[in-house]
Amino acid sequence: MNNPYKPWLAIIENITDEVGGERAIKTFILKFKDKNIQETFSFKPGQCIMVSLFGVGECMFAIASSPTEKEYVEVSVMRHGKVTSALHEAKIGDTLGVRGPYGNSFNVDDWIGKNMVFIGGGIGQAPLRSVIHYIMANRKKYDRIDVIYGARSSKDLCFKEELFELEKRNDINVHLSIDKEEHGWGHFVGFVPDNLLEISPSPENTIAVTCGPPIMIKFVIENLLKLGFSPDQIFTTLEMRMKCGIGKCGRCNIDNVYVCKDGPVFSYEQLKSIKGER
Amino acid sequence: MVGNKELQNEIRKIMDHKDVKYVLAYKKGTYGFQTTPFFVSKREEVSQVIFSPFCLNNLTMYIKNEYAKEKIGIVVKGCDSRSLIQMINEKRIPRDRLFIIGVSCGGVIDPKKRSKRISEPLENVDVVEKDDKFVFTVNGKKQEIPKREIVFDKCIHCEYPTPLIYDFLVGDKIEPLGKEDYCDVKDFEKNSLTDKWKFWEQQFDKCIRCYACRNVCPVCYCEKCMAEQLDPQWLRRSVNISENTVWHIIRAFHLAGRCTSCGECERACPMDIPLMLLNKKVEKDIKELFDYNAGKELDSKPLLAIFKPDDPEEDIK
Amino acid sequence: MIIDKNKINAFINQIISDHIVFAPVKNKDMVLFKQIKKPDEMTLDYNNSRIPPKSIYLPQTETLFRFSKNQNINLETPKKDGRTLLFGIRPCDAKSLKILDQVFTGEYKDSLYLSRRKNSILIGLTCHNPSLNCFCTSVNSSPADTDGLDVLLTDIGDKYYVELITSRGGKIVKNFPGFKPANKEDKKKKEEIVKKAKDSIKRHIKSERLASILDSIFENKYWEEIARKCLGCGICTFLCPTCHCFDMQDETAGDKGARIRVWDSCMYPEYTMQASGYNPRPYQMNRIRNRVFHKFNYLPKNNQVFGCVGCGRCITECPVNIDIIEVVNQAREVKKDE
Repeated sequence: MNNPYKPWLAIIENITDEVGGERAIKTFILKFKDKNIQETFSFKPGQCIMVSLFGVGECMFAIASSPTEKEYVEVSVMRHGKVTSALHEAKIGDTLGVRGPYGNSFNVDDWIGKNMVFIGGGIGQAPLRSVIHYIMANRKKYDRIDVIYGARSSKDLCFKEELFELEKRNDINVHLSIDKEEHGWGHFVGFVPDNLLEISPSPENTIAVTCGPPIMIKFVIENLLKLGFSPDQIFTTLEMRMKCGIGKCGRCNIDNVYVCKDGPVFSYEQLKSIKGER
Repeated sequence: MVGNKELQNEIRKIMDHKDVKYVLAYKKGTYGFQTTPFFVSKREEVSQVIFSPFCLNNLTMYIKNEYAKEKIGIVVKGCDSRSLIQMINEKRIPRDRLFIIGVSCGGVIDPKKRSKRISEPLENVDVVEKDDKFVFTVNGKKQEIPKREIVFDKCIHCEYPTPLIYDFLVGDKIEPLGKEDYCDVKDFEKNSLTDKWKFWEQQFDKCIRCYACRNVCPVCYCEKCMAEQLDPQWLRRSVNISENTVWHIIRAFHLAGRCTSCGECERACPMDIPLMLLNKKVEKDIKELFDYNAGKELDSKPLLAIFKPDDPEEDIK
Repeated sequence: MIIDKNKINAFINQIISDHIVFAPVKNKDMVLFKQIKKPDEMTLDYNNSRIPPKSIYLPQTETLFRFSKNQNINLETPKKDGRTLLFGIRPCDAKSLKILDQVFTGEYKDSLYLSRRKNSILIGLTCHNPSLNCFCTSVNSSPADTDGLDVLLTDIGDKYYVELITSRGGKIVKNFPGFKPANKEDKKKKEEIVKKAKDSIKRHIKSERLASILDSIFENKYWEEIARKCLGCGICTFLCPTCHCFDMQDETAGDKGARIRVWDSCMYPEYTMQASGYNPRPYQMNRIRNRVFHKFNYLPKNNQVFGCVGCGRCITECPVNIDIIEVVNQAREVKKDE
C-alpha cells in the first residue's frame, strides 16, 4: 500500500508574474522529477493537486493547465498565508512536492455539443482556464463558447496576454471587464455579474460554469437564473480549508460531502440541497 | 445553605431591568450529581435556577468572551468573585455592566473525592448541609459524609467563602473555612530537583493538548493564544513531553499575578494533571516577592503591568 | 471455550514473546491503554480507558514522511510497526475501530493507519458493569458485541468464557494450552451476565429516523442554545473513539524535517479558518451543530453507521455538562424549520 500523503517531487520550470501588489498572483509551471510520473500523470479539467513546500506546508490548488498539455502541470497561486507567501519566494529550479489529482472534475464529456459560458473573477479563472484550454483543444466537439472574465483593475487581470490572444480568435467570444473606469480600457466597466446581464447568453442548450469570489458567484448565479438557466445547467467550484485532500482529516466537509474528494465541482442543483456553511 | 427561592427572586429583580442580556446561573444537570451553567434569558426559566454544593463551574469564564453592550447578571461564589475582580481590574469588562449576585458558599464537592465514596445514580441527587457534614439522599438511602473529606482542597483552605464583590448577597456571611498556607506547594518544594522534574515529566507526558485548561480559565482570554500562532510558531503542534512542558510552563507564567486559584483548570483536565500545584507555586512566589494576591481588591492595578521603585531586583547587581 | 483466570498471566506472557501487547494500565485514578512488558502491569478492574484505543492506530502525533532540505530532497515513509495485540478492549471501542476503518479506506487508503490495523489482533472484554453514561445498546452495539473483535472474553467468576470470532483469534487461542471447552453451565452463566449488563444500562437515545429529524431542524435556534455553554475545549473530540480529525504540519530541525499529523478538533475556530480570514463555521453554534450532524446524520448517510458507539466519555468528561444523549433526544421536541 502506498503512503497517500507522500508527494512526488516536481521542479519549478517557469514562473510568470500575473498580478503584482498585495494580492500578487504567480503562475508556476511544474514538471515532475521522474519522467515516468510526468508521462503517466493524467487528470481531468477542474481537478486539483496538493503542492508542498517542504518545511513550510502544503496547499490545494486547481490545476490551471489542460490535460492535453502533457509536458507539465500549471498552478496559479495568490499570495495569502504562510505557504503561498513562501511559494512566491520560490525560484526556478526549486523542488516542490505534488500529489494528486484529487476531486471531481468538470463533466466535459457530458457537455459535448453544448454552448459553453465561462464566468470568472480574479483568481477564480484558474480552474476555468484548464477547462477552456481543454475545450479549445477539442474545439469541434463544442458549440458556441463565451468567456466572461473580470477583475478589479486591468493590473489585476489574470492570464491577461492569453485572454487578449483568445479575444482575437473568431471561434471563441471573450468579454473582459474591470470594476472601475480606467484610461485606455475599451471594454465593459462594471462588475462581472452585470457584464453577464449585458451579454445575456441564451440558456438554450448551454452550460454555465462560474468561479471566483463567493460574492461574485452569488450574483452570477442569481443573474443566470434570471436569464432562464436551470439549476442543473449551472456549475461552480467550492473552496474550504484542506489538509489531507483525500477525505480523511474531516475538515472540508459541508453537509455530508467532502469538498476535497466529492468536489470541488458542484452543480447549482446539488448546491441547493447541501445544507450548511460554505 | 443558600435558599433557591431567595436566589431566584434576586434574579427576577435583575431581569426587571430592561437592558439585561441574560443572567448566568446554575440549574440541575442531566444526571446524578451534575449541575450545569444556565443562561437565564426568560422569566419563565428562573424557577429552574438552583444553588447547591454541586455547583462547581466558575461562571465568570463566560464573561471573558462577552463583548455585547448589554448588561449581564451573574451568580458568583467566593472563589468566582475573585476571578471577576481580576477581570474588572484588567478592564475586560466594566463593573457597571454587571449585576453580581454573591452566594455564600461553604464548599463545593470534588467529583473525584465523591466518586470514591458514593457512586453516581441516574436521578438527580439531593444534598443537605447538617453542621459540618453533607447528607446525600441517593435512591432513597441517606449517607452522611464530613464536608472536609469531600470538598475540593481549595475549599478547605478557603479564606473568602463570602464573595468579595456583589450587588446582592444571598445567604449569610460565612467566616473563613481555613487559611491559605500553600502547604501542598511547600511539601512538594522539599523534593530534590531530580524528583521534582521526574514528577512533572510524568504529569506532562499524560497531556493531550486539548487546551481545556486554557478554555475553562476565566483569565485566559488572549484573542490569539500563543499556542495558535504560526508566525512565529512558539509551540509545535506535536504532542510530546518537550512541547507539553513548554505549554504548561508558559501558561503558568502568563497567569502569574493573575490566577485566582479557582481550580477550574484542574477540574476540567481530562488527564488528571495537578495544574493547581503549578499555579499555586507561581502564586506563592508572587506573594513572597510582591506581597500580592490577584483578585482581592477592586481597582487595584494588575501586578505585572505596574512597577514600584522598591521592587525586588536581586538579579540586577 | 473457557480459560481459568489464574492462567491469563501465562497467556499474556506467551503473546508478549512475539507481539507488542497493549493492555489497560492503571495511572492513579484513570486507566490508559499502554504497552506492557509483563502481565502484572495490566489491570482488568476498570470500566473503560480515559483515552480510547484509537490512540494506538491513529496516534496523537505521527510522522507521515521525513525529508531533508538539502539539494537532493529525499522523502522517507516511516517503518511499519510489528505485530500488535490489544488486550482488554471494550466492545464499543472495537466497534469504533471498524467505523474508523471505513473512514481510512474508501477511495484512498491511509496506509499508515491500515497497516497498523491489519497487523493487530483485538481480544475484547465484555462489560459486566457498564458505566452510568454508557448507551451502546442505543447505537447498534451491546456490552458483549463481537463486531470488530477477534476474541471476546466474559468474566464468569473464576474463569473467562471465550468466544472465537475470527480465524486469527482462533489461532492465538489454540496456540495456548490453557483454553478448554466450555460446558452448558459456563454458557448459561455468560448469558446471565450479559443480560444483567444490558439491563443495567439506564440511558438511551431514541435513534429511529434520527438523521431526518436532524435534517428538519438544521436552521433552528436549538443549536445556539446548546452552544452557549460550550467552551470549545475539545475534550469531547479527543476522548471520542470515532473522532478522527487531524491536522498536518511540517516540522523542521536544521536540515531535516518531517510532515506530521496531529489530532485536531472541529470545536476549535481555527479548524476551518481560511487564509483570507473567512471562516465558514465562525461560531460555536456552527461547530457543535456540525459535530452532532457528523455523528448522527452525515456518517449514517455516507456509511450507513452511527458515528457514535455510546461509550459516554464525552458526557462524563465535559466540564459544563453538555450531554449528547440529551442533545439528541431533545432534538425531537424541537419545532421543525419551515
